[in-house]
Amino acid sequence: MDCRTARKRIEEKVDGLLPREAEGELAAHLAACPACASESEGMSAVGPMLAAFVGARAAEKAPRLDAMWTRVRAGIEERREAERRPSWIPRWAWLPAALALAVLALLFYPTGTARSPFNPRSFEVSFEDVESDTATVALVDKGEDLPRVIWIIEDGKT
Amino acid sequence: MARRNAPVRPGAPALACLLLLLLLCGGGGTAAAADTVSVDVGSVYASNEGTSIDPALGNIRGKLNSMFNYTSYKMLDRKRLSLAVGQTGEYDLPGRRTMRVTPQPAQGSKVRLNVQIAEGSKSLLATTLGLSRGGMVLVGGPSHQAGVLIFILSAE
Repeated sequence: MDCRTARKRIEEKVDGLLPREAEGELAAHLAACPACASESEGMSAVGPMLAAFVGARAAEKAPRLDAMWTRVRAGIEERREAERRPSWIPRWAWLPAALALAVLALLFYPTGTARSPFNPRSFEVSFEDVESDTATVALVDKGEDLPRVIWIIEDGKT
Repeated sequence: MARRNAPVRPGAPALACLLLLLLLCGGGGTAAAADTVSVDVGSVYASNEGTSIDPALGNIRGKLNSMFNYTSYKMLDRKRLSLAVGQTGEYDLPGRRTMRVTPQPAQGSKVRLNVQIAEGSKSLLATTLGLSRGGMVLVGGPSHQAGVLIFILSAE
């Protein structure tokens, strides 16, 4: 095994990826090569240091992560609870409410005020009698396509 | 174990009920329509003050213009009453006048109306006239402010 291969194997060993059968060959090289042995020693020390560093950082962040997770869980629970909670108005109550509304709409539907413009379909009129105690009354017919008019001529006014 | 209700649209029963009610009312309405007359009375103030014609007058704006020599027509009031044969409907007209309309028995699609217009205790007009349903007649002449009143009487 040459030194280049040995360094690759050292990295694999540190990462825990070195096959068991290659360990003997690497150990033989390290025993014969002080430079590679020193490299192996240094790299082996880095692993536990990194693990310690990551552990320390995780412990430092843990309370904040816990708090965030608690908030997320509480939000999820709250939404679930809201979905489960029944409405204070029971479903059947909509039926009489709709009925009452319809009846009210029919009762109070405006009959007195103007809604649509006049749109007559016929101007045909027959008069059985026309009388007035205080005025002169004239019947005006200006053609079939015009409305008939009863004109009240108030004495001394019109 | 949590039990979930079957998904029902909340407005569905109400909508169905409303439709049913409208159908029932519609069915009753056709039977009642033959016995009642919807009498619509509009009071129009015609004068030579200005040149405006009220859009509420609809299709008869042009006809009023061609029949009378006034330049301005303004709808002052309008009232529609559903009246049974023999039932009298009262309409308040401008100038403390009143119109009383009583549908009379009639054949087919015709309507007969007894119409009385009074000013206080004085009778201005008493007539019985026949119209087709959807027909119209005008009653005009009573003075009002600087012009006259024209009453549009239509029956449906």
